[in-house]
Amino acid sequence: MTTAAHRARPGFVWAAPAVLYFAALGILPVGGVVYLSFTRWNGLGDPQWIGTANWSALAGDPEIGGSIGRTVLLTVVSWLLQTPLALLIGVWAAGPQRNRAVLSTLFFLPLLLSSAAIALMFVSLLDPNFGLAADFGRYLGAPDGNFLGDPDKALYVIASVIAWQFVPFHTLLYQSATRQIPASLYEAAAIDGATGVRQFFAITLPQLRNTIVASSVLMLVGSLTYFEMILLTTKGGPGTSTRVLPLHMYLKGFDGFEMGYASALAVLLVLVGTLLSVVVVRLTGYHRMASDREGA
Amino acid sequence: MQRRTFLSMATAAALTATVTACGGSSGADAEAGGDTAKVQVWALEDAAVNPIATSSIEAFNAASGRQVQLVTYVNDAYKQKLQVSMGSPQAPDVFFNWGGGNLAQFVEAGQAEPLDDLIAKHPDLSSKFLPSVLEVGQVDGKQYGLPMLGVLPVVLFVNKDVFARAAVEPPATHAELLTVVDALKAKGITPIALAGSQGWTELMWLEYLLDRIGGAGKFQAIVAGQDGAWQDPSVIKSLEEIQNLVKRGAFGSNYASVNYDNQGASKLFATGKAAMHLMGTWDFSLQQTANPKLIKDGKLGYVPFPAYEGGAGDPKAVVGNPSNYYSVTANSTHKDVAEQFLADSLTSDAYINGLIDAGQVPAVKGIEATLKAKPNAEFTTFTYDLVAQAPTFTQSWDQALSPAVSATLLTNLQKVFLDQMAPAEFAAAMAKAK
Amino acid sequence: MSADLAVRATAKPSPARRARRRRGRNLPAGILSAIWLVIVAVPIYYIVVTGFRSQDAYVEQGPLDLPSNPTLDNFTALFGLGFPTYLGNSLLVTAGTVALVLALALPAAYAIVRNPSRKVKLSFSVFLLGLAVPAQAVIVPIYLIITRLELYDTLRAVILPTAAFSLPIAIVVLTSTLRDIPNELYEAMTVDGADSRRVFRTLVLPLSRPGLVSVGIFVGLNAWNGFLFPLVLTQSDERRVMTLGLWNFQSQFGTNVPGLMAAVVLSTLPVLALYLFGRRHLLSGLAAGFGK
Repeated sequence: MTTAAHRARPGFVWAAPAVLYFAALGILPVGGVVYLSFTRWNGLGDPQWIGTANWSALAGDPEIGGSIGRTVLLTVVSWLLQTPLALLIGVWAAGPQRNRAVLSTLFFLPLLLSSAAIALMFVSLLDPNFGLAADFGRYLGAPDGNFLGDPDKALYVIASVIAWQFVPFHTLLYQSATRQIPASLYEAAAIDGATGVRQFFAITLPQLRNTIVASSVLMLVGSLTYFEMILLTTKGGPGTSTRVLPLHMYLKGFDGFEMGYASALAVLLVLVGTLLSVVVVRLTGYHRMASDREGA
Repeated sequence: MQRRTFLSMATAAALTATVTACGGSSGADAEAGGDTAKVQVWALEDAAVNPIATSSIEAFNAASGRQVQLVTYVNDAYKQKLQVSMGSPQAPDVFFNWGGGNLAQFVEAGQAEPLDDLIAKHPDLSSKFLPSVLEVGQVDGKQYGLPMLGVLPVVLFVNKDVFARAAVEPPATHAELLTVVDALKAKGITPIALAGSQGWTELMWLEYLLDRIGGAGKFQAIVAGQDGAWQDPSVIKSLEEIQNLVKRGAFGSNYASVNYDNQGASKLFATGKAAMHLMGTWDFSLQQTANPKLIKDGKLGYVPFPAYEGGAGDPKAVVGNPSNYYSVTANSTHKDVAEQFLADSLTSDAYINGLIDAGQVPAVKGIEATLKAKPNAEFTTFTYDLVAQAPTFTQSWDQALSPAVSATLLTNLQKVFLDQMAPAEFAAAMAKAK
Repeated sequence: MSADLAVRATAKPSPARRARRRRGRNLPAGILSAIWLVIVAVPIYYIVVTGFRSQDAYVEQGPLDLPSNPTLDNFTALFGLGFPTYLGNSLLVTAGTVALVLALALPAAYAIVRNPSRKVKLSFSVFLLGLAVPAQAVIVPIYLIITRLELYDTLRAVILPTAAFSLPIAIVVLTSTLRDIPNELYEAMTVDGADSRRVFRTLVLPLSRPGLVSVGIFVGLNAWNGFLFPLVLTQSDERRVMTLGLWNFQSQFGTNVPGLMAAVVLSTLPVLALYLFGRRHLLSGLAAGFGK
């Protein structure tokens, strides 16, 4: 290694600001939450050290198992709902026709609305007596328009609202990735006699593999943050039918003011998040720091 | 409104945390504390009511030569702002509170001054207020708070038009209620509008049923944390009646999707798709802006909650939000002025008439004639008479109980409505909640 | 799988030969797209027409009827309710967050890709572990930190933690963008005697533009949507952001649905303008940033 090459390598100092910043506002707070999880604190006065009482209370919390299960279910359903939709629409919208470009502008609109706006809009739309739910409910298995209030449907309705918000973004990912697929591939396939559906499975899908991974990662990473949407639509109800783990933690802390116990839940949430990150990193190979090409 | 929004809670948590973190000496605190030579009266910001308080303060200052000053905060910030300043030099001299459990917590911390001596000197203060409302300002038999705003009881609104169509009369007893429910259902009308996506609307049914079946003492036992209070047979009975109503279709099949905040229930009731609506009297003003025709055409009726045959409770008792209260801070350095101010202004004609002009129904005796001369006289008189004749005024449970217990209560009650939880399970779960 | 690899091997992209002619008809996807269009359009149509309805009409008319007497009252009323302030605050928070994240993340990604030292490797792992940690889990300590810094109830109080929790994903995406800059380019510059500052300025910065665009959009949308941090870290009306404002309108309006929907429509217009303005950039940026 020449000195010149060495000098051109950026030192740790380039990464230091980001690292320090993240340590102060990302890692330090996690330490704080761990501390609070061993205290009793209602937000007033000073936190009181109570040892592992909050942690043993986790086992006796009737909502804990359910809320973890609902979190996983919501993540899986969201992925199953959004990925095929976004993939197919993205591929279709990548077509050359002008009208498709106009239409894809329309597809993009939901992304411009904030989650708060979308939540308020759907609460209104899904009003069983005066919203669209009243008119279209019977085609969707709820003749009385009871969607958000039906314990068996509410979580799926939430998943659909989330899909409404995020499918456009993923559609865009697929649309732009599809445009990058060289035409020569399709021409070669056409010569071999492969058409329509076979081309899709033989060329388009494999070519989009990396995009599928990238889009899935974003969905997974986002899945723990959906709670705002639920908070503003059902607040976890009816009963606890849509109470996912992040919301459970939030309600314990900010509705019931059991900050100590909420912190124990928060630590659990951080652990789940970290675990998820590890899985994602393993699956995608994001942990490789340099390009494959560099080694060659 | 007695809804405890999580915004207020979050801000509250945030505020208290500030003080915990900074030792209660942030710039904002000092500013709010203001000039300690002045007597501070802290209250909620309310565009309709604040001017009345201000003019009563001006009148007091002019007459007494003292310096009383009104300091107001928005709802979200007030509760905890108060909580963290009490006991500090920035504490107010007179503070606005919600009575009941909210006031009791200041009393327990030794921060509120008993007003019984003041009342002995000014008998007006106890004799002029409606007893049931005054009672919510008492803790352990002593008077700590004096009512300073209007009453907001929960009443059963009825759509007269719909009742005429179904040829039935508004129910006076529980048995009649069931008959009316069946008759309305037969006509294809949802008997009762209920915004079941929000637990606090469902809570009103439990509050009233327990009051009628077991009497007001049953909830007092719950508030006092007595063993087995939640498992009392009358609590179980009330929950069974609720499930019975649900199964009968009294609330329709989709009530759990209905939301109060987007007019879901009020609109259902106003358009005649539902016949009854159990709600606080604030819903009247809401209907007045959102559905003025309902009131103009004389279709809006209102009755007390039906009696329960064989129940131990007095059918004249009410539940809801009794009022808000002024209390005097225990270690105020201007206690005498603060007390004098309360004695002089709260029952003064100017203050009471001001409240009435602002659309409130003050908890004061002998104002029938004044109410009759104002707009919506029929409704305000009804509200007034209801409260005036009530032996007890039970405070909304989610206000009387601690935040953690009310959060659990609302969730579990939703489950009872959805038949996901049996009454006995509910009682057991609530007994464990703290 | 082997077929897949074979296809990929022969398919080194040749930008000059982009697909002009996509596969002929794709009926299922076409139908699906049409259905999706309806699903997207109907709710948006609903908020727009409801925003133009009067309160009386909201009670009397069906949800999808055209307003018989369209009114602008709902929109004009919003200007008296602090709406412009909320909008301005949201835009400031969004811009501040994006600027901060990009300024921190790009140099870090550069170091991660070009510096194999243990220290850098370790820092990268920290960001990777932080990828899916939800912000609301640590809201209370964040709150305490912000008050210690005496930033409570300022817009900076919202920007700082929002940026912190966007850093991991930004660094991961930018790292993968930078990886694709061929090694030869770096080497050519080093031979010319360039130090890392010059490499960053003349090579990394221009070539990472697509990645920066997509990270910017993703982070920007997050900040624009932010609800929890503004909720807990600000208090006064002057510091209120759009999302909180919208939510607050629900009580300010006394459950006036048309007013609320008008607010939803207005809150969307600035982003719509930005989108129409930068649509082209966005598409190419997304392709480069996430398509790898």
